[in-house]
Amino acid sequence: MGSPFDINGGACVAMVGKDCVAIACDLRLGMQALTISNNFPKVFNYAPSTYLGLTGLATDVNTVSDLLRYKVNMYRLREERNIAPQTLANLVSSSLYEKRFGPFFVSPVLAGINETTGKPFICGFDSIGCIDFAKDFIVSGTASEQLFGTCEGLWEPDMEPEDLFETISQALLAAVDRDALSGWGAQVWIIEKDKVTQRLLKGRQD
Amino acid sequence: MTSLLGHPAGGEGIGYSFSQPTAAPVKQHGFYPYTDNGGSTLGITGSDFAILAGDTRSTSGYNINSRMVPKVFKIGGDDETGEGAHIVLSVVGFAADGNALKERLDAVVKMYKYQHGKPMSVSACAQRLSTILYQKRFFPYYVTAILSGLDEEGKGALYSYDPVGSYEREQCRAAGAAASLIMPFLDNQVNFKNQYIPGSGEGHALEQKKAEPLPQATVEQLVRDAFTSAVERHIEVGDHLQMMIITRDGIQEVFHPLKKD
Repeated sequence: MGSPFDINGGACVAMVGKDCVAIACDLRLGMQALTISNNFPKVFNYAPSTYLGLTGLATDVNTVSDLLRYKVNMYRLREERNIAPQTLANLVSSSLYEKRFGPFFVSPVLAGINETTGKPFICGFDSIGCIDFAKDFIVSGTASEQLFGTCEGLWEPDMEPEDLFETISQALLAAVDRDALSGWGAQVWIIEKDKVTQRLLKGRQD
Repeated sequence: MTSLLGHPAGGEGIGYSFSQPTAAPVKQHGFYPYTDNGGSTLGITGSDFAILAGDTRSTSGYNINSRMVPKVFKIGGDDETGEGAHIVLSVVGFAADGNALKERLDAVVKMYKYQHGKPMSVSACAQRLSTILYQKRFFPYYVTAILSGLDEEGKGALYSYDPVGSYEREQCRAAGAAASLIMPFLDNQVNFKNQYIPGSGEGHALEQKKAEPLPQATVEQLVRDAFTSAVERHIEVGDHLQMMIITRDGIQEVFHPLKKD
């Protein structure tokens, strides 16, 4: 049997722009080569400008996203404020490391803007919570190799929100079209300070 | 119960006094006829030229064997420098097989010229390479080959192969260790996949941007960008970029430095 990370398929990517960040995912859910659904978003919202993408084993994507929703809700009730992306990063990391010897088979990607500093923030994780802080972009999922290629080729520093949208969309669509386990549409979020735009991309349906 | 013969009676078979129970199994030796030497190659064609490129790093596992082992070769030249050649072959995978394949195809193209009194066309060479690869169907040359030149109309021609000879003529192709990184970038930047003409229509009426041959300077820049990107994220790619630019004036070979880490 293959790796648990590759059973259901899926891809996710986050990018930094000028005073903005973007996060995008594909919509496929499969069992090996058989597609089960083309409406399975992998990006979840945890604060007005903080989003988390989860690729990997679909059952763990659901479990981890729900577990974090519970933890973030408890945080908001205690602190009476929204969770900052940096804080969520540490929460994700410690939650995953708790399961060090029986991990969730997920590769999270976090994107957000810190409400107090106004600075964009992205990071990625391995399945046991090691944080990868990046200044440019983070990729994850079965199309991660393809995404590394497209992002490394298309990304440039200090892009405006419109250019960032075009770049992340082209990078994701080009990547998932070369991966049999990802694709079937995509969703993109452009996060600016006090403004979030969500777009649905059709993409190739095969 | 103690055995009468003074040695433990085996659960199966007859317990002869001279039959020693096999304590340690005989050491198994293996011969692995293939190695993966890493690296990547890339070919793009234009209206009157073709470019075949590859990095020059040679690896085995995490070791770097050499920083200057070219993967792109002139085929059917008049002397050992490849002078007079009009076909280029790139091979990536197992370097020893790659060299053997290059030597064989080079000999075949030369013999063709001596026997027929004219140079071999690229399409004929492409079919011959497929046959050579398939002849070793059950002990293959462990390589991904790309063959390039100019076709009978003077247009850029590029043929890509799998290790057992399946081949196809294409506009562009990446092969080797970083093929999965480079190929989607090429789909987007050479064939304009997922790009549409703004304001050309709504929904299904929206027109796709047509792929048309790119100018030589653009293609050269794309090749260099593709490799600098691959070097950033793949440890088996690096050191130098070797480019063969095929035009009707001949083959120009250039080297560019890549990161050596």
